[in-house]
Amino acid sequence: MDNANQDRRGFLNWLIGGGVIAFLGSVLYPVVKYMVPPASGEANVSQVKLPFKLKDLQEDEKHFRIFKFGRTLGIVILTPDNQIRALSAVCTHLDCTVQYRKDLGLIWCACHNGKYDLEGRNISGPPPRPLKQYAVHINKTTGEIIVAEGQG
Amino acid sequence: MNRRISIMRRLRPAVMLAVIMALMPAIGRGDGCLDCHATWEEGAKAPSKLIKFDVHFKAGLGCSDCHGGNPNADDMDVVRKTKGFKGVPKPAEIPQFCASCHSDPVYMVKHNPSLPTDQLEKYKTSVHGMRLFEKGDGKVANCVSCHSVHNIESPLTPTSTVNIQNVPKTCAKCHADTSYMKEYGIPTNQYEEYQKSVHGIALLVNKDNGAPACNSCHGNHGATPPGVTSLGAVCGLCHALVADNFAKSPHKKAFDEAGFPECETCHSNHFVQKPQLNWVGTSDSSLCVRCHAANDGTRGFAVADSIHMALSHLNNAYNRAVGEIDQADQKGMMVTDERFALNDVKQAIIQGANEVHFFDATVVTKTAQDGSAAADKIYNSGQKKISDYYFRRKGLGIATLLITILVIALYFKIRTLEKN
Repeated sequence: MDNANQDRRGFLNWLIGGGVIAFLGSVLYPVVKYMVPPASGEANVSQVKLPFKLKDLQEDEKHFRIFKFGRTLGIVILTPDNQIRALSAVCTHLDCTVQYRKDLGLIWCACHNGKYDLEGRNISGPPPRPLKQYAVHINKTTGEIIVAEGQG
Repeated sequence: MNRRISIMRRLRPAVMLAVIMALMPAIGRGDGCLDCHATWEEGAKAPSKLIKFDVHFKAGLGCSDCHGGNPNADDMDVVRKTKGFKGVPKPAEIPQFCASCHSDPVYMVKHNPSLPTDQLEKYKTSVHGMRLFEKGDGKVANCVSCHSVHNIESPLTPTSTVNIQNVPKTCAKCHADTSYMKEYGIPTNQYEEYQKSVHGIALLVNKDNGAPACNSCHGNHGATPPGVTSLGAVCGLCHALVADNFAKSPHKKAFDEAGFPECETCHSNHFVQKPQLNWVGTSDSSLCVRCHAANDGTRGFAVADSIHMALSHLNNAYNRAVGEIDQADQKGMMVTDERFALNDVKQAIIQGANEVHFFDATVVTKTAQDGSAAADKIYNSGQKKISDYYFRRKGLGIATLLITILVIALYFKIRTLEKN
C-alpha cells in the first residue's frame, strides 16, 4: 500500500515538474523568437542605404541601377553632368519599372514609350504625373549612397 | 452750386459713353446681332444661346468677325448688303471660312501663338477633304462636324466635342451610322469594336487620357487610314519596344513581302484585345497556325511551340506563387515581401510578351526561365510561411494540453497534501 502511494506521489511530482518546465518553455519560446530579428527588414522605410556604392554606379555602363525602397522600387542615375539622382522607378501610367536611357538623356518606360526628364517630370507619352524624387546623400569617404524620402 | 450741377449734367452723356465703351469688349462685338437673333424663331435663335460657351466669343470675337456684315444695322436687308457679308456658309465653304483666320499665321499669333495654322492644308490631304474638294461631297466631315458650331470649345475642355474623351463618340456620329455611311462601303462597327478594345476600355472606362482615341492613329485634320507600311510606326509610337523587336525579327521581311500590315495581322485594328497565352503556339486557337504548319519547310511551327512552352511555364510558376502567398496571407502570415518580389515575375511576363515579337525562342526562354526561378523562390517562401503557421498551431495545441495536465496534476497534489 505504501509502495503504491509512493509510486503515485512520485508520478505526480514528475508530472508537475515536467508540466512546469513545459509551461515555462511555451512562455519563453515566443519571447526568445521575438528577440531574434526576422530574416527580412521592415517593409515601410523612409530611407535606405543602397546595396552598391558610388564607384559601382560610375563604372556601370548603363549609368543607372534599380533599388528596393521599402515596398516600392527606386532608380538611381548618374546624370551627364555627374550628379547622382534618385527617383521612384514606378511609371505613373501603369506601374511598369522605368529605366534611364543614356542615349536619350531621359528616363524611359518600355511599356508605352513614356518619357520623363531627369527631374522626373513627365514630358512625353501616356504618363499622367511626374516621378517622385528622393534625396540622395553620399558618404564621400566610403562611397555609400543613402536615399531618403524628400526632395533631392 | 448750380453751376457745378449744370457741368455734371452736361458731362453725363460722356460718362455713360465711357462706361459703354469700357464694357464693350466684355460683351463681345456680336451683341448687335444677338439683340435681334435672340428674339427670332428657334432655328435662328440657336446661335445666340450657344455662343456664350464659344471660345471665339470668350476671346472677344463677335458674329460679324466670321459672318461679316454690319453688326449694328437694325435691318437684315441692310446687313446682307454690307460689304464683306458672308452669311451662312455651305458645307463645302466651311473649311475656307474657318481658314480665313486659322490659316493666317500673322492673325493667329495675336490670339493663340501656339496653335498650328496648317489645319486646312492637312484637311486637303484627308479622306474627308479630298472627297469634299475633288468630288464636291458635302456629306463628309468639315470643321463644324467635329468641332461643333457656335459653341466651339478648346480640346482641353472636358465638354468639348474634340476633347480626347469625346473624340470616339464624335467620329461615331457619322462612322457608326449605317444609313449615313451606306454609300461609302466601309464598315460602321469601328466604335463598337473600339469600345470593347483595350484602348477603348483604358480611355473610356478607366479614363486614362494617355490611351489612344481615333485621331491618335488616324490623325485629326489629315484623317486617313494608316497604310500597310506605316501601321508599325503608328502603333510603335506607344509600343516602341515591341515595334523595335518586330523590326529585328524575321517576320519584318516576310510581312513586307506578303503585304501584311505589321501589327494588325495578329492584333486586329479597332478590336485590339489583351494578348492571351494561346495566341502564340501550335494549337488550333493559336494565331501562328494561320500561316505556319508542321513540316512546312520553315522553323516557324517549332519556334511557336517553344515560345508557348516557355511562356506557359512562366505563367504557371507565377500562378502557383500567387496561390501560395494568397493562402499564407489568408492564414494571417505576413507576405508583404513576397508580394513585392512578385513584381520581378510580373516584369518578366511583360518582358516575355514583348520579346515574343523577336520570334526567337531562345530569347523568350531565357526571360521565362529567370522569371520562373524568381516565382519558384516566392512559392518556396510562401510554403515556408504556411508550414510556420501549422507549426504555431501545433505548438498552441501542445502548450494547451501541457497546461491542462499541469492544472490536473496540481489539483491532485493539493488533495494529497491536504490528506497528509
